[in-house]
Order: sequence, then C-alpha cells, then structure tokens
Amino acid sequence: MKKRGSLLADAREVARGWRWTHRPLVPRSVELPDTEPHDFPTAWARTSVGRAARAALQAYALKPLIEFETRPRVEGLDVLGGLRAPVIFIANHSSHLDAPLVLTSLPPAWRERTATGAAADYFFDVWWRAAATALVFNAFPVERSGGKGRATHLAREMLADGWNLLVFPEGTRSKDGWVREFRMGAARLAVEHAVPVVPVALRGTYQAMPRGASWPAKGRKPVTVRFGRPLWPRAHESAADFNQRMRAGLAITLNEDRSTWWDAIRNGDSDAASGPDVARWRRVWEASAPMPERRRAFPTR
Amino acid sequence: MARPGFVLDVDERTPPLLFHYGEGFRLEKLPLGSRVVYPSEPLPGVRDVDALIAHALEHPENSEPLSALLKPGMKLTIAFDDISLPLPQMKTPDIRGRVMEHVLEAAARAGVDDVKIIAALSLHRRMTPAELKRAVGERVYRSFYPESLYNHDAEDKQNLTFIGETDQGEEVEINKRAAESDLIVYVNINLVAMDGGHKSVPVGLASYRSVRHHHNVHTMMHSQSYMDPPSSALHHSTVRMGKLLAEHVKIFTIETTLNNNAFGGPSDFLQKREWEWSTRDQAAYLATKRFTDRAPAHIKRKVFGKMYAPYGVTGVHAGETGAVHEKTLANVHRQQMVEVDGQADVLVAGLPYVGPYNVNSIMNPILVVCEGLGYFFNMYKGKPLVRPGGVMIMFHPVANEFHQIHHPSYVDFFEEVLAETTDPSAIESKYEQQFATDPWYIHLYRNSYAYHGVHPFYMWYWAAHAMDYLGDVIFVGGDRKTVSRLGFRTATTLGDALDMAAETVGASPRITAMKCPPLLLSDVR
Repeated sequence: MKKRGSLLADAREVARGWRWTHRPLVPRSVELPDTEPHDFPTAWARTSVGRAARAALQAYALKPLIEFETRPRVEGLDVLGGLRAPVIFIANHSSHLDAPLVLTSLPPAWRERTATGAAADYFFDVWWRAAATALVFNAFPVERSGGKGRATHLAREMLADGWNLLVFPEGTRSKDGWVREFRMGAARLAVEHAVPVVPVALRGTYQAMPRGASWPAKGRKPVTVRFGRPLWPRAHESAADFNQRMRAGLAITLNEDRSTWWDAIRNGDSDAASGPDVARWRRVWEASAPMPERRRAFPTR
Repeated sequence: MARPGFVLDVDERTPPLLFHYGEGFRLEKLPLGSRVVYPSEPLPGVRDVDALIAHALEHPENSEPLSALLKPGMKLTIAFDDISLPLPQMKTPDIRGRVMEHVLEAAARAGVDDVKIIAALSLHRRMTPAELKRAVGERVYRSFYPESLYNHDAEDKQNLTFIGETDQGEEVEINKRAAESDLIVYVNINLVAMDGGHKSVPVGLASYRSVRHHHNVHTMMHSQSYMDPPSSALHHSTVRMGKLLAEHVKIFTIETTLNNNAFGGPSDFLQKREWEWSTRDQAAYLATKRFTDRAPAHIKRKVFGKMYAPYGVTGVHAGETGAVHEKTLANVHRQQMVEVDGQADVLVAGLPYVGPYNVNSIMNPILVVCEGLGYFFNMYKGKPLVRPGGVMIMFHPVANEFHQIHHPSYVDFFEEVLAETTDPSAIESKYEQQFATDPWYIHLYRNSYAYHGVHPFYMWYWAAHAMDYLGDVIFVGGDRKTVSRLGFRTATTLGDALDMAAETVGASPRITAMKCPPLLLSDVR
C-alpha cells in the first residue's frame, strides 16, 4: 500500500466512492426521489460515421470476441427471408452476452439496421458507458422505472425511420435463468406500428455469463441463438393480448431449441419457459445445468 | 435557490468526507450509520447593497432616521467590529467600509465636523494601518487616518469613562470619546449568533474592569450556549450593561449579516458536498492537499490569509440596538440554522485555519482549544450535538507554535499556567489578575500588536463549559506533547480515536460530525 500522503494515495482517496460521471452516486439520505433522468444523445451513433464504426467494431471485434469466449450456434435465420425491416426482435434475457450474441448472429445487412434497447438507469447513467453502448450496440435508452415519454418516443421515431429494434421485454436479466413476465413496451410498439415481432430464444448464456459475472466463464460454453417464426399483430388486437402471444412464441422457440420444432408446437406448453414452480435454488439448479453437448455424427477430435 | 442545511446518514455510497485540519485537509471515511451535519448553501446576497444600507439608515428600527440624528456641531463617534470579523476576511469592499461611507455622507450633509472612527477591539490586538484601511475602505482611511481613525485602547486610563454599575453590580466603563459623544454609530458584522446586539458597544469599547464581569468561568458555565443569546449568561450581562449605557449615550446600531459564501474561486470545493465534487473540484482538492502537505506553515498562512471570501450581504438593519439585533439574529438563523434530531455520543469536527484571534497570525494551541471546545462545541441552540459525558474528536495538528508579537501572554500561559493546572476555575482565581495587570503585557497591548495579557484566560474560559460537559477530548493528528499539556489526548487516525472513545462511550457509539465552515448552528431537538 502506498503510504499516506503520497499523490497517488491522495488521488485514490479522492476517487474512492466517486464515479467519472456527471451523475454522482448520492448517499441515500440525501437522494432526491424526483431526480430528472439525464437524456444522453444517441443520434450521433446512427450517422454514417457511427454506422461505419459500429459495423467494423461488431464484425472485427465483437463477433470474434464472442466466438473466442463461447461456442455460439445460430439457428432459424431463414425466417428473416420473408421479412423486411423494420421488425422487432424480442429475446429472453439472462446475461450481458445476450445483446452481442443476437446482434452478431444477424446477417450483416440486418445487423446494420438494428438498434438495441438498453436500460437507461444502467447503461446510460455515466457518459462513457452511455457512449460505448450507443456506439457498439446502437443502443437507445429504455426507462425501466415506469418512465414513459422520451425513450418510447425515440423508439417510435426509430421504427418510423425503418430501424429494427432488439428489445428484451422482461426488462432486466433473469435472476434464475428462466423467463420472467413481459413488460408491455415492445408489444405496444409492435401493435401501434404494425410491425412483426421475431422471437429469439437464447440458451446457454445463463451458464456462460450469469448475472454478476463481468466476463464469460472459462471453457467456451456452448450457447444457441434460435430465431422463431415471426408474429404479426392482428387487426384490433390489444397490446396485452399480443404480449401474451409474444411470450408464447418465445416459449415455443425455446422449446424448439430444447427438443424439436414438431414437439414444441405439438406440446404448445408456453409456461415451460417460466420454469418449474419449485424452490428458487432448484430453478437456478436446473437453469444452470450444463447445456448438452451437440451430437456430432463425425467427431473431429 | 440555496439548499438548506441537512443531516446526512453515512452509508456505503457516501464518499470520504472532507475535514479541515488546521492549515491542511483530510478526507475521512466515517463509520456507516454516522450522521453528518451540513451547513446551508449560501443564501443569495442582496444585489444593491448601497440601496439596502440607505434604506436601513432612513427607515431604522425603533429610532429616528440617521439623518435626523445628525446635527451641526455634534460629536459623532463611529465604532466598528475589528479584525476578528468576518472569517475568513471578506473581499473588498468590506461591508463595514460601505456602511461607514453612507454614515459619513449623511454626516457631511448635516454639517458634522467632529467625527472619530474607532476600531472596537476591546482587549484584542490593535489593527495595523493596512488592516484598518482594508476594513474601512481607502476613502475613509485617507480622510481620517491617523488622527480620527484609530484603535480603541482599553488600558488608556485617561481615555476611559466609568458609566456606572448595573443592578447586578457589573461595572460599565467604556471609551471616553464614545461616552462623551452625542451619538455613537456602531457598525457591525454579525457573522454568528454570538456577535452584535449589546455585545458591540459595552464590550468592544470597554476596559478589562468592565469585561471581566462576563468574561469569566461562572458566566461561561451558565451560557449554554453563548451562540444562543436567550440562554446565555454572557448576553444577559451585556444586555444589562447595554441598557445602562443607553441611558447615558445615544447609540445608533447598524448590523449587517453575510451569507455562507466563505470560499470562492478554486477553493469553493471546501463548501461543496463531496458527492457533488466535479473533476475540477477533485483536482483543486488534490492540488491544495499537495500544497498543504508540503509547504512550510508560514507560506500556507500567507496564502490562506489572502483567500478572501466572496460573501454576499443578506441583511442590513439599523436603529435601536435591541430591535435591530432581533432582525439580525433572524437573518443569521435563516442562513445557519440546521435542525438535528437528538444528541450523539461522539462529536467529530475538523478545525479550520480560520479563527477570530489568529487573523494574519498563528492559531496557537490555546486558540485551537477555544476554536474547538469554545466555538465549535457551542454552535448549538437547545442542546449540544453531543450528550453529557460524550466525546469530542477534532482534527488539528495542534502545533506548538505561537505568534511572538500577537500572542506574548499566550506563550507564558501555555508554559507556566497550563503546566500547573488546566482547570479553568483554578486558573482564574490563581493567575488571572497577575496576567491582566502585568505592565509588560499592557505595554505590548497598547504599543505593539499584542492581545491583552488576560486574553488567553478568556480563550480558556470560552472552552470551560465543554471541558466540564465532555467525558473525553481527542485530537486526531495532534502534536502529542502539546495536546497533553492542554490536558487532552491524541490519536493518529480517526479509527484510533474512536477506539479510544469507546472507553468512555462504549463500542458502538452514535457519531455526529459537523461540517464547518461554512458556518452552521445546530438546533438540536
């Protein structure tokens, strides 16, 4: 330890409990409940320069990194064949790997036109994190604490401009690896703009990089990304009803990845995604079970 | 809008908090669950100060307007608060000078020729010509110095007038020129609730004979606190004296109040809340810390002495002393009062380099005690921040250093009196007379720039209530030998000090820290 009184020790002392941000961490007893959320500008990330930088970062940094740290398998991309932007991708969410995984699984033409919803209170609280998230993921802030208005407005504008959105309707990463209830935002956007929703089932990310981990686990865990059949809002369908269908669609896609497409639609058990109704540890235990290794007809080693 | 003062609960989000440490600073991590009393942010200063002064003089409280009191051929004496106020010293123009200019303009218009301006310094050291000039402004200084602008001399027997005794037998003796004037205009800066009111003329222009009636251990023990005049025996005494005086001489009091804007420019991080420090504030802190850790003490004092505060003026009231002071106190309370719920077992405070008796000087160990156990401890209304028998922990280096010109009697007080006893009553009865009447100290007070021989005693009495009330006093980072002479204990770190305090208040004490300056007055419920 540096002795007290050195410049380094002083600097450390000052930096303790302080964040490189315009929004400091305020002691609870003096925190104001109505603090106005900061509006971080993201439009710059969608300019031609921002897009070019992002395309390069995603293709030459993010994708190689994901493939180096995990063993991704992507299925069902053919569903995109019959679609045109904009669409809303919805995925189950249990890991920081989810967004990069979905983005890098998309064909470049789709990836380039896709923006990601990111929690305003987490990703947009400090300028450097906000800037990095906006650049790499083409992120836009999503208010999780019931704040409507600005963020939804931005999402609407982006849909109108033809951007695909990647949204995690659960609102936060799952604590036990199973799918939580969906929030209404994504369904509402889809119904209002009459855009299709593509469920994306992610498996293995909970094992590869659960909540609390800052880097993927060692050993290149297998992860799968499966794109499900697109869902279109029906005429006069309410957002709440469509939300239910979205959740069922995602559950089927998850089941399809676990078994087969045929089994999944035959069983039609949308609640399977929520996991068994047992003690929390058993849910976590089951969700964190290692993904079965893919059967190989001709093992390479 | 200025945010009011508040009490912070220290949690895991709370960054290390800044504490003054003499001519230095420390960042301290307080135990979780501690409370920290923060002062209010500076209230907005009045924009047109001259209009405010003019209005106060023409619409005074309980008195005729000043212009109606000024007559040709009259004797006018303007007395003003000395160098001990405000703290830190304010950027020029000093509010005293601005007020005086208005008074003098009115006097000139009325054809008053006989005007004397006196620094009401009581038993404090004389102000130097440069200090006088700074306080009254260049125009006043050039017009009146040295014949008609001078320091009060409490030992000039020829120039003191005995007014009489109060019903409690308190002798009132003040400056002869003031006593024989047709009008005394007193210009004050009311920095804390202790200042002003009847403490201005009957103390500022008085002699030892008069001051000893309230500057003593008995009065201080019954002033709980002397920052709360209704509960202060000190103030009860000065009010009795002031009322007696008012029967003999007309006094027109002008009181001014300043906001909490004590630190400006690069040092304004000193009055910001730590979690709101910007990168610039952090850099300013680091630079200041490097400087204070490395620079020799005299250089630091020079630099700090030149850091003048960009105070705003929050009020000017004029007229009859009692009525004016009521309004003034309301202004002081508006800026400084912070409500605190309940007392703590341990009170923590960082003692700053600023103090009333070490302006352009050295805060010697006795002044440190007065600052901590006198002023800081007494910054309360109602009950002290700490419970009876509690512990006070202070950050200060307590260096064994004295200003040989300003504080000669302090040196002897420290070397001879404190070596014998630290008990205020014993000191008072055995040594006070000897120091107060010592011809050499009197000579230095009158002709040099020395505080009166009795002054260190008053500093000690100022702390008497706290010494009696507290179970233990610990100086973190203090010089062991010096602190031990003062009768207290030292610790290297706050953690050690809290461990030591556990002997008195148990292992899990309630801790309250006060962030001062800027000034705050705790209203403990």
